[in-house]
Amino acid sequence: MRRSVTGLALCLALVLASCGGQQDPAPPEQGPVRIGTKNFTESVILGELYRQALEAKGLKVELQSRVGSTELTNAALRDGSLDLYPEYIGVLLSEVDNIRTRPASPRAAYLLAKSKEESRDFTLLKPARLSNENALAVTRSFARRERVRSIKDLKRLRPAPRLGALPEFANRFEGLVGLDARYGLQLSLKPVEAGRQYAQLDRGRIDVAGVFTTDPQLAGGRYTLLHDPEGVFATQNVVPLVSKKALKAHGPRLSATLDSVSALLTNPAMQALNRKVEIEKRSPEQVAGEFLSDQGLTGPASG
Amino acid sequence: MLRRSIRTQITKRVLVLSTTVAVLLGATLVLLIIAVTGQRDAARIAFASQEALTLTSRLQTSLFAIENDLRDYVRKPTRPLEPVTNRLAAFPVQQRALAAQLSDDRGQRERVREIGAMIKSYAIRANALIIVARTRPKVARNQLFYTDRRDLIAALSASLRNLASRERTIVRRREDDAEAQSAAAIAFGIGGLGLVLIVVVAGTLYLRRAVVRPVVRVARATGRIAAGDLDTRVPADRADEIGELARGFNTMADSLQRGRSELERSNTELQRSNAELEQFASVTSHDLQAPLTTISMYAELLERRHGSETGEGHELIDGIRGATQQARVLIRDLLEYSRAGRGELAVEALHADVVLKQALEALAGAIETAGARVRVGPLPVVLADRTSLCRIFQNLVGNAVKFTRDDPQVSIEAEPDGAMWRFSIRDNGIGMQPEYTQHIFEPFRRLHGEEDYPGTGIGLAVCERIVEQHGGRIWVSSSPGEGSVFSFTMPAAEVRDDELAAAVQTPVGAGS
Repeated sequence: MRRSVTGLALCLALVLASCGGQQDPAPPEQGPVRIGTKNFTESVILGELYRQALEAKGLKVELQSRVGSTELTNAALRDGSLDLYPEYIGVLLSEVDNIRTRPASPRAAYLLAKSKEESRDFTLLKPARLSNENALAVTRSFARRERVRSIKDLKRLRPAPRLGALPEFANRFEGLVGLDARYGLQLSLKPVEAGRQYAQLDRGRIDVAGVFTTDPQLAGGRYTLLHDPEGVFATQNVVPLVSKKALKAHGPRLSATLDSVSALLTNPAMQALNRKVEIEKRSPEQVAGEFLSDQGLTGPASG
Repeated sequence: MLRRSIRTQITKRVLVLSTTVAVLLGATLVLLIIAVTGQRDAARIAFASQEALTLTSRLQTSLFAIENDLRDYVRKPTRPLEPVTNRLAAFPVQQRALAAQLSDDRGQRERVREIGAMIKSYAIRANALIIVARTRPKVARNQLFYTDRRDLIAALSASLRNLASRERTIVRRREDDAEAQSAAAIAFGIGGLGLVLIVVVAGTLYLRRAVVRPVVRVARATGRIAAGDLDTRVPADRADEIGELARGFNTMADSLQRGRSELERSNTELQRSNAELEQFASVTSHDLQAPLTTISMYAELLERRHGSETGEGHELIDGIRGATQQARVLIRDLLEYSRAGRGELAVEALHADVVLKQALEALAGAIETAGARVRVGPLPVVLADRTSLCRIFQNLVGNAVKFTRDDPQVSIEAEPDGAMWRFSIRDNGIGMQPEYTQHIFEPFRRLHGEEDYPGTGIGLAVCERIVEQHGGRIWVSSSPGEGSVFSFTMPAAEVRDDELAAAVQTPVGAGS
């Protein structure tokens, strides 16, 4: 009985909806904006920032957090499973486009990457000032004891230092490939999840850790970042990598909103956000929401 | 208005009774339908839930299998990928089927939606991994370090378990509800049937007490009335239709009783006056005979002593004597008539031809004188008084001879007429006008003058009395000049055929 009543109500609703549709023609119904993120905290926070900002503008969003490493997230985007995700220009060039030479400036890198994307029906929106680069870090005590200041210094250490980094580090130019190519440094990799390297360093399980320069753990001078004179690690400005199809489907609202989010992103701001999640163990959703409303990007939406 | 309401009391009660029974039966039917529906719902819910649970566990198995297959493929891309892609393609279908089979519950819908989203997330990740594994197998292999898909599957598995356990709870509750509803409906239904039974029994008892018994009482009373007991009455103290019937019956009985008592009274009166009349006639005729005898004796004495002196006084004396003789005959006939049909009858089985023969012998003189021919057909055996029957034959044959001038021919025949025999005495005499055939049996009725045909006119009246006393009837059919047929009936005696045959063979007949 209840089921049939529900069914009737549904039918009625459908009829009414179709009537309404006929009377008041609306733009063709679009699917949600499908956003992916990589599997580390900062990317997750960026995804939340995108989502909440877009939702505040009335767009529907489907967020796939922690799809995987750059390789997997990028594959999902190319596959059409995602419409966009926050990407880092350096890794995009070196790992996706296999460009190992460094462009002269971040601006040049952006333009190069953008032209590459445009050629395959994707594009980059405006980049943020935020540049979260890869780096190698050691504990300050290790640096002092072993007198290590640059990546070059690692080469002379015997036994070879134990490196802990994300598993994809093994296959990347901005990883073991580049370290070998530029420094002749042949290290073995102990894969760790993002954020866990610091604990491994502290416990002496590893000597060197692959880190992100926006990691909140780096604040406070407990760890020393090693210099990279050969330029293995490039600048990594954050930029939304978007499919042109999605841009077309969702109109200028999408790019304008994401541009306004990117405009807010600086290294200190991102580091603070990462801290709230990594150290203070708050939820990325909440942290992103607070940031956007503090910055006046969400709240009573005016359009 | 009052009469009307009184008259329809039982009708109203019967109407109320039938309405009650109908309503109760209807309610019971509805309850039983609810019970059946409840059972069917319970079965359907149980079936759908079983399907949903099966789908859940199949989905769970599939999820574990796909992750293992996927990891195997990434480790060794030469392995077949079809199991993985097939399963990935099947997931949305499975999820939709599950959603369709799940019970209609907001929480469950939300859960299955979440499961769908998780499956989608898993599929995106699995697809991405497959793409990377194809192009950069080493990169893909390194990604196996991450446990995110496994975590997702663990979460999915937990969600599916949760879904299944919620489903079981919901279904159990719904089944219980449906069963309880069903059981309640059955209980109420049985109660309703019991109530119907009680109402029907009560109604039957009421009808028996209020309608059947009084009607039977009236019927029995009617039987008693029909049997002649007009004192019978039925109780008529009720204010309903049966009371009306009883009162009507009693009124009818009163009226019948009144009518009969009046009838009896007038009958008694009649009998008494009849008896008085006959007594009067008998006494009068008897008493008249004495003065007549005296007159006649004095006339004799007068003639004997003074016959020589009187001269033409002879003629006067002859006149006195003739008148006296005529008066005596009249009185004799009157006496005979008044006695006829009153005395005891010595009824016996008689061969009518024997009796007729006797009568013809008595009439032998008259027949001889008139030269009449008498023809007698086969005659039966009847139950009659010998003397009476002989008198009838004598009167009728005598009349036949008397009222025929030329060449009298008389025939006597008998035919069966029901339980009687009909005798016919046919002549070729003068006959009579049809209008006289009714009056001819009245006493002293004569159609002709004394001088034309002698007689007092009492014979046919006497015949009628005798015949009626035997339970028969007598009549005549005639027309002037055509002769007459006098018919009368007598009760038949049961007699064997051979006896009858013997009787018939006896030659009867007289005259030439």
